Amino acid sequence: MNAAVEAKAAEIKTIVCRVLSVDPATVSDTDLFIEDLGADSLKLVEVLATLQIKLDVEVDPADFRRLVNLEGVYEVLSEALAE
Amino acid sequence: MTRTSRRRVAVTGLGVVSSIGTGPAEFAAGLRAGRSGARPITVFDTTGLPLNLGCEISGFEPRKWLDRLSADDLPRVAQLAVAAARMAVDDAAYDRAELAARRTLIGVGTSTAGTDSVERIAERLARDPDAGVDEFEARWTPAVGMSVAVARELGLSNVELATYATACAAGNYTIGDGFDAVAVGDVDVALCGGADGMSRMSYIGFYRLGAIDPVHCRPFDRERRGILTGEGAGMLVLEPLDDAVARGARIYAEVLGYGLNCDAHHPVAPHRDGVTACLRTALADAGVAPGDVDLISAHGTGTLANDSTECAAISAVFGDTPPRTVSIKSMLGHTMGAASALSAIASCLAITEGFIPPTINHVETDPDCPIDCVPNHSVAADLEIVQSNAFAFGGGNAVVLFGKN
Repeated sequence: MNAAVEAKAAEIKTIVCRVLSVDPATVSDTDLFIEDLGADSLKLVEVLATLQIKLDVEVDPADFRRLVNLEGVYEVLSEALAE
Repeated sequence: MTRTSRRRVAVTGLGVVSSIGTGPAEFAAGLRAGRSGARPITVFDTTGLPLNLGCEISGFEPRKWLDRLSADDLPRVAQLAVAAARMAVDDAAYDRAELAARRTLIGVGTSTAGTDSVERIAERLARDPDAGVDEFEARWTPAVGMSVAVARELGLSNVELATYATACAAGNYTIGDGFDAVAVGDVDVALCGGADGMSRMSYIGFYRLGAIDPVHCRPFDRERRGILTGEGAGMLVLEPLDDAVARGARIYAEVLGYGLNCDAHHPVAPHRDGVTACLRTALADAGVAPGDVDLISAHGTGTLANDSTECAAISAVFGDTPPRTVSIKSMLGHTMGAASALSAIASCLAITEGFIPPTINHVETDPDCPIDCVPNHSVAADLEIVQSNAFAFGGGNAVVLFGKN
């Protein structure tokens, strides 16, 4: 992740965990949203929409499938915020 | 009741308001020419959104279609429905007084109905909590307002009014129910179809789902990215074939049968097995073998999921050489509750006028969609049987078959 995302990593994790209704303390960067945290594709759409609004960033819809865990979120946002 | 004891049902009138043409003749010309209805959205504010293309109707004059009702008293979606219904009755050359004496079903399908009023009410209140609520806008929000408006404008009181909130497949639900009601003799005439106006809610909803194509709607194409939202209304007059013949009416086509199911699989993802079962149900109801279908007017939204799933279901039913399968949504966008009514009308016009509408904006067919989508240019064809597919969010599927009379 780049510096911009690193600075906001805690906020990003809080947003994601709130949308997924999971306790941030129990979630690692590599836990899979669907398989480990019980999300479905509509929840992930909500995650993406919330991040775009809260962080005022536009993410290419093609990158949606990379949002499999927090690591993926940080990567995609690093690219989006670098542009 | 077995099929042989049911009355045969004819389509004798068509009414259309669409982004590519108003009235059956202009609509047919638009389909034949492969006209695109896509243009910048004007009916709601798209400020702040990166995209602003939709298939909006331009130049619609509601007053032209309203004698008894006032345009100022109707939401846009009801104006569209009433205009299409009047057109359909006039097109069927049904005398108004004679029609008023008949038992009629008026069925209008929709996705969002008058929710554009709710959007405007909410917007004003969000900007100013003291703004108050406009009486007319609140009054016309309920979806049932559409079929009521049709009955009032046409002066019909011996009617059953039905509203079908079965979203993107609603038009086919109304046609299926209208077909049944006429076939078993519950009514003499069914005036059925669907209507939806441009909706900010559905536009933003599909945008958030990542399901709006930023360039144009290109069903079955390798590069497809989603739908364009659109608006329109389509209404059909159904009556017993014998009555139509007796009064010398023009018969566009016969409704051969239909199939409905709900696979209850997923809120938004189409389900191959559910769609496959629905196709089989429709063919069985119509007594048609898959090999006898000459054309499929597909649901064909242009989303990755729909087009590949629909084609997989078609392959499962029709084998390796399915009939030509086109998407008129490439031209009209996704008109939601009107979509399958417009597809039904296109199917009837294709049969009557002997052509297949193209799938426009097509460059390269996706290998996951192994069908001939009749890219970009319409072709002449003698069509005996045409199938019209519609699938809705929530897993509601509806398929209707039309045959040449």
